[in-house]
Formats: sequence, structure tokens, C-alpha cells
Amino acid sequence: MNDMTPTREQREAVLEGMGCKRKRVEDIRFTQGKGNYVDDVKLPGMLHGDFVRSPHPHARVKKIDDSEALKVPGVLAVITAETLKTVNLAWMPTLAGDVQMVLADGKVLFQNQEVAFVVATDRYAADDGINKVVVEYEPLPPLVDPFKSMDADAPVLREDLAGKTTGAHGPRKHHNHIFEWTVGDKELTDAAFKKAEVTIKEMISYHRTHPSPLETCQCVCSFDKIKGELTIWGTFQAPHVIRTVVSLIAKLPEQKIHVIAPDIGGGFGNKVGAYPGYICAAVASIVTGKPVKWVEDRIENLTATSFARDYHMTTEIAATKEGKVTGLRVHVLADHGAFDACADPSKWPAGFFNIVTGSYDFPTAHLAVDGVYTNKAPGGVAYRCSFRVTEAAYCIERAMDILAQKLNMDPAELRLKNFIKPEQFPYHSALGWEYDSGDYHTAMRKMMETTGYAALRKEQAEKRAAFARGETREIMGLGVSFFTEIVGAGPSKNCDILGIAMFDSCEIRMHPTGAGIARMGTKSQGQGHETTWAQIIATEIGIPADNIQVEEGNTDTAPYGLGTYGSRSTPVAGAAIAMAARKIKAKAQMIAAYKLEVHEDDLEWDIDGFRVKGLPEKFMSMKDICWAAYNAVPPGMEPGLEAVSYYDPPNMTYPFGAYLCVMDIDVDTGVYKVRRFYALDDCGTRINPMIIEGQVHGGLTEAFAIAMGQEIRYDETGNVVTGSFMDFFMPTAVETPHWETDFTVTPSPHHPIGAKGVGESPNVGGVPAFSNAVNDAFSFLGATHIQMPHDYWRNWKAAKDLGAVA
Amino acid sequence: MQMNDSQRIPASREQVWAALNDPAVLKQCIPGCQALEVTGPNEMTATVIFKVGPVKATFGGKVTLSDLDPPNGYRISGEGSGGVAGFAKGGAVVRLESESADVTVLHYEVDAQIGSKLAQLGARLINSTATKLAGEFFKSFAEVVGVRVEAV
Repeated sequence: MNDMTPTREQREAVLEGMGCKRKRVEDIRFTQGKGNYVDDVKLPGMLHGDFVRSPHPHARVKKIDDSEALKVPGVLAVITAETLKTVNLAWMPTLAGDVQMVLADGKVLFQNQEVAFVVATDRYAADDGINKVVVEYEPLPPLVDPFKSMDADAPVLREDLAGKTTGAHGPRKHHNHIFEWTVGDKELTDAAFKKAEVTIKEMISYHRTHPSPLETCQCVCSFDKIKGELTIWGTFQAPHVIRTVVSLIAKLPEQKIHVIAPDIGGGFGNKVGAYPGYICAAVASIVTGKPVKWVEDRIENLTATSFARDYHMTTEIAATKEGKVTGLRVHVLADHGAFDACADPSKWPAGFFNIVTGSYDFPTAHLAVDGVYTNKAPGGVAYRCSFRVTEAAYCIERAMDILAQKLNMDPAELRLKNFIKPEQFPYHSALGWEYDSGDYHTAMRKMMETTGYAALRKEQAEKRAAFARGETREIMGLGVSFFTEIVGAGPSKNCDILGIAMFDSCEIRMHPTGAGIARMGTKSQGQGHETTWAQIIATEIGIPADNIQVEEGNTDTAPYGLGTYGSRSTPVAGAAIAMAARKIKAKAQMIAAYKLEVHEDDLEWDIDGFRVKGLPEKFMSMKDICWAAYNAVPPGMEPGLEAVSYYDPPNMTYPFGAYLCVMDIDVDTGVYKVRRFYALDDCGTRINPMIIEGQVHGGLTEAFAIAMGQEIRYDETGNVVTGSFMDFFMPTAVETPHWETDFTVTPSPHHPIGAKGVGESPNVGGVPAFSNAVNDAFSFLGATHIQMPHDYWRNWKAAKDLGAVA
Repeated sequence: MQMNDSQRIPASREQVWAALNDPAVLKQCIPGCQALEVTGPNEMTATVIFKVGPVKATFGGKVTLSDLDPPNGYRISGEGSGGVAGFAKGGAVVRLESESADVTVLHYEVDAQIGSKLAQLGARLINSTATKLAGEFFKSFAEVVGVRVEAV
């Protein structure tokens, strides 16, 4: 060996594999404005479609007159439910087993519901056309309050379901009832409450909000009449599922449908569902024979495509005087809006809300969820979280604080007392999950030590005394949150979407020069897959990440996968990538053995190639193996070096974390300052620490938005009054606090590389941390639970209601 | 949304009552009113330009007078549609009280509902805008009636 031989460290560094803070390769085009988004798709002769929407939350549609609209120069067609009925598309199936109107069929059920689709030569003409469509409505009484939805005299919303006493998830109790979902042992839980020394009960609401990605939902549909093929460019988090759904509902052969998701400007769950815009653009293209583009504006996005949350959770904990929890009982009233369009795995009407026992060892628990219809937009997507996991984490983390307050215990101490212990993993929860791994005590103690938790509590006590003496008008809150997420949907035994098992996939094709291309069934919307996926392959097969091209989003080239949401990409596709890489490596080993003239078992893997055990100079690099794979394979072996893996995970993964928010609130103005926010995440093996940190920053910023002001609010007449960023809180760099990030590493035992997923953890853990900080600040004034969002006005009002402000 | 207020008018109750039933006076006093036509007994159609915050729209609709109790008061109600800007409906119960032979106090209780884009974009401005518009209407009504009385 001469001096030029690279060291092991140098060879490893060149790979930029797992654990490397590799710079995001996609940023080269994003930072230069060279991304390629749906709105950048411009086809010859392309038309533009836009919606006539209902001003009423609940009304009969008596008549739609499009005669004046069709006279507007440039307007070519006005599509209504009547048009869609001719192709049997006036209604479409939802992911939750319900049906949804594509265009108003006799009735509108929420404000801004799609009523007609105007197609024109440009967007301006389409909008002029919209102004000329005359719709005659007969207003009906709106149902806004979910708590009144099952009153005997509540208006009937879904006339199409008249007489149906059973829905997709079992019996319906009322004409506005969708499902009841129960989990756990009711008898045992009721018994635990009967003999409990201490109980708490609180109705904890997680308000309706919206993922509001910067790029709204949009598509371009182009139907080729000659070939009978439909090509759809769209903002799809799950392109393959869209292809299958389109094939099933439009009765087009699946091979004739090409779905392409180009660069996506944020999804956060909003881009999982199928929306009327997609169907109408496709039908319009079939009708006109021209490509049709549909692009939502901001108001449409906030008020009509999928909302998130809207769970009203009546929560009870039973405990001993010493603070050991003995039972959990939760009833959820879930406001689903006009149609049940929740994006959950099909068998889970309330997602994985049964993770509500959180990080604690509850001997018994019982959960019941009632889903109801109201005159609000449909949706119920997982806004930067796994399915309904944010709601569950908020529920249990608020409730633990309320219990701590009742017991006069420190909330961190109460949590430490009730955590599932490291030796209990794999842990079977009272509501049916098998937690794969965890070390909660270590994470919690690290958080407390790093933040100086004890000193902060002391400072809080001093400040409270000063407040009582009238020396300050500022109160201080410490928001503790310890969450366990359940991500990586999921095992085919319990997860599917419309019958499609929730596996994911990867195909790797190596080229002769030691480079390659890898395609996955996932779709990045900003997560940085092009960077991290290549890093997994780099470590697994010893080819530099820079030499691996990652491609996603084209259903013609990518292997079938269920897409990116619910933090499933790393747990499921990440595993498929490792498994495909290992297939490549196995074939490479056979080639290397042949070339080095030894038995396969005599070889050992060494960073970027195979070495003969005991003979360090006999080495063949992966790069050379790639060349040999095409030109000098062993006799009888097929040439080429590629592999496909479809990965059906054996279990979910369970990331966790310990967060602390330190907040100061001025009682006279309600103005809060986030003095400090510390987030410790354990996502198992860390593929790219820089990307993890970026994900945590983004997730915390969205958590901050939701907890402190972001809301989709309806007035009592059914108007949605938060239709723009003037009223819907979207934090900018000005409002966003500074984030401190930290980590522990507890690898997932069943995942090929031990990774668990991280993109959504900060939203799951962040919201309770902020809310607990506000509630903790007010607790000494007598507050037990103040509902979110905690904007300045509500903080001021809380202070006033508690008598702290005259 | 509800508003209650009163306006002191230098005219007799009968004169005020007459003006309340005069489409020309109403047209002059309704803020943004472009046209007001009588279509039947106690029924009119109106075109009004209405502006709340960033939304400005032309509303076409019906105005109806009901619960007529001359010369003590009535209910004036209207509903209209502004196309994509949304819809508005509402009314006012008007009650006249003689303070003296030539001074009348007009009491009004307004209730109004608006929907769609106006509410989505202008929610925070609606109450103040509506209060302002109602105030403008009754203020100019008092002026118009006052001027009429002087002219007689």
C-alpha cells in the first residue's frame, strides 16, 4: 500500500452514508427557483378550470343557470353534477368508506362546497364565468355545533344515507352519526374508576385546523383520446393510490393512467386525499379533448380541502394518592364535517387514536369515539402526524398535567413515576399496541438536566410570589410534554387503504460505472428523500450517495408504494431501500467471490467492497463489481445488478421524545413570549442529523402555530371566518421562537436499519408542550384547563376570567 | 349580529312615517344604493354596493316592509346576493316615538346575517362596518327628513 491509499475514514467520508450531515441535493434546484411544480406544467392548448362554490353551509340547490356564463369570451364549458352523472362521477368514494359529492347534487352541505366547474381558455375567463353562473339556493338550517349533531331535532344533513342504519364502520345511532369505535376493556376500566383514590375528568378539545401547505392542491389532466390514456400531474403525496382510485372510479384500465407527482411544496397530509378538483379536471379534459389545469387559491385550500383535528375528548384518569395511574377512560366526539373523508387506514375510523395511553403503564383503559356529520368541510387528515396521533398525545399529555395539578405533584415527576420501564419492552398497551422499544426515563432525565428544570421551577415559584405581592404582571409557565408516536403504517395484518396493504417499495438499478438509480413508492414534499434515501444505499452497498440518483413520483417508473404521510417513509420505504440494497449486495458478493477466486463465505464486507478474510490485499470494490456485473458474471449467472424490494413491516415504530417549553405571559395584554423551547427526539438510528434537525424545526413551528393561534373557525351561521392568512395564523420568522434540539438513540429492533421516522414527532410533542406551558402559567390562579388555541386575546380572557385582570 | 340605537329627528311623527315609506327617501339614505324600484305593495328591489374590508360587491335583492303600524313603526327587511362575494340578509324594527309635536325619536333594532366571502375575509370588520352603515342610514334619514320639514 502506498501513501495515496485512502484511509478507512476517508473511504467512509466519501460515501456520505448514514449519520452524515449531507447537504440536501434537492436544494440546488429549490434555492435557484428551478423546482418543477404542478403549476410549472404548461401544455399546448391547456385550459383552466375553477369552481363555483356555495355561499351557504346548508341549502338545497334549486337551479343552476349557466347560460350567461357560456357567453363569457373564453368560457368553453360549465360542468355540473348533471354532467358528471352521465359518466357516473357525481359522487366519489372517500378513503374512509363514505361517499362524497364531487359537485353539489341537489344540496350543498358546507360553505364553499364545489357546485359547478367552469372551464375556460385562461384562469381569468374562468373566474369571469364563475361570476355569471346563477345558482338558486333554498337555505336550510345549518348544523355547526357537533355537540348538537345527534339531537333529536337536528337537521338531516345526508339525505343520501336515509334509512341506512349501518355505515362503513358499523351501526349508526342517528341520522348525523357516522360510526362508533370502541377499544379496550370497559368493565375492567369502570371497576378501576370505582375503586380509584383520585380521579380527574376534563373535556379537552383539539380544535379544527388546517395543514395549509404553501403550494395549494392542484393538478393538470390530459386525456389522449387516440391512445385512451389519461396523464395526471398533481400534488399527490400518494401517486400510486391516486392511480388505482382513478382507475376504479373512472373505469379506465390502470396501465392507461399515468400519475406524475413533480416537486411538491409541502403536503402535511393535505395532499393525501382525492378532491373534486382532480375529478373535474379529468372529466373536463375528456370532454374537451384538451389538457385542463386546476389550481386552488388560498381561500379554497383553507376552506374546502382537508382540514385536520376537530376532536373533542372527554378524558378521565384514575390514580392512587401517590400518583400511580390505574385507569384511563376517553370519549371522543369527532367532527368530520359533511362527508367522512378521513385519510386513515381503512379499518381505523379514528386512526391510531388508541395510542392515547401514551408513554404510561395504564393497567386498563377504554376508548369510545363517535364520528358525526356537521355542515363543515370534510377531511380529518393527519396534519404532520400519524393518524390521529397528535390528538391522542395532546389528550394524554394535558390530562397528565391536570392529574399532577390535582395531586399537587410536579408534572415531570408524575410522568417518571408512570412511564413504561425499559425492561417492559416490547410492551403491550391496554388499548392493543405492541410498543417495539423505548427508554423513556433516560430521555426525560436528560431533558430535565439539560434545561435545568429544577432551577426553572424555583424561578417560577419566586415569580408567582412576586406576582402575588403585586411586583410583576408577568406569569411563567413550564410546559412538559413526553410523547410516544406510532408511525410507519403499516403491517398488512392491520393496515390497508381501500384494500391495498400499506407496504412500500424500492427498486435499485446499478449502472456499469458504479453509479445507479433508485426509485421508491414514496413521494417527498420537502422531506429531502433524494438526499437521505441515497445515504441509506451508500452505507448498505458502498457506493457514494452522490452517485445514486433518487427518483419518486412517476407511477410508470416507480414501484408501487403507498406514499409519504404519517411518518411512514423511513419506517416502511426506508426498510425497503435497505432490503433492496442487501439483495444487490448479495449478488455482488457472488460476483466478487468469482472474481477473487474464493468461496463467498470467505469474503467480508469492508465499507465499499468485499475483502477476502485474512488476505487484506485481495479486495474488490463495489464500483468494480458493478462493471463486472455487466461484463464478467460467473457462468450461469444473469448479467445486471438490480433489485426490487416490497417491504411489509412486521410492526409499527414508536418514536418518542421529551419536550419543554418555558413561556412568560403578560396577564394584562395576554402577550406571550416563548423564552425557551427544548426538544429531545428519539427516532432510533439517525440517517441525516441535519435533515432531522430541519424536520424538528419545521414540526415545532407548525406545533407553535396550532397551539398558539392557528384555527379553522365557523360562526354560528356556518360561515368559515378564517379564510385567509389574515385570520389563519401562519407564523413567519418574526413570530417563530428559537428551537433547541437534542436526541437519544434507541434503535427499532425490527427495522432493518433501526430507524423510526421523525418528521412528525415535533408536531405531536410540540402542541402539548405549548398548551401545557400556558395552562401551567395560569394554574396557580385556579385554572385547570384552558382550551387551545392560546392566542393573545384568549390568554387575556383567561386572566380576566380568573380574576387576575380587572 | 345585532345593533340597537336611536336617532332624534326634527319632524313630526307623521312626517317621519311618510318618509319611511317613501322609496325616494330610502334610496337616498341607504348607503351605496344604486337603484330602488317599487315592485308591489310594500315591496321593492334594490341594487346596493357593499364593501367590507377587501371585498366590494354589488348586491341585488328584495326589500320588504312588514308589521306596518302607521305611524308608530314597521319592520324593514331585505335579502340580497352579491354573487361570489356572498349573501346578506337582515332587517330593522323601527319604532317612532313623539318627543314633542315636531321632534320624533326613531328607535331601531337591526339584525343582520352575512355569508360566504364577505364573512370569510371580512369577519373582523363586519360588526364595525354594519354599525357604521346603520348609523349612516339613520343619520342621513334624519337629515333628509329635517331638510324636507324646513322646506315645507
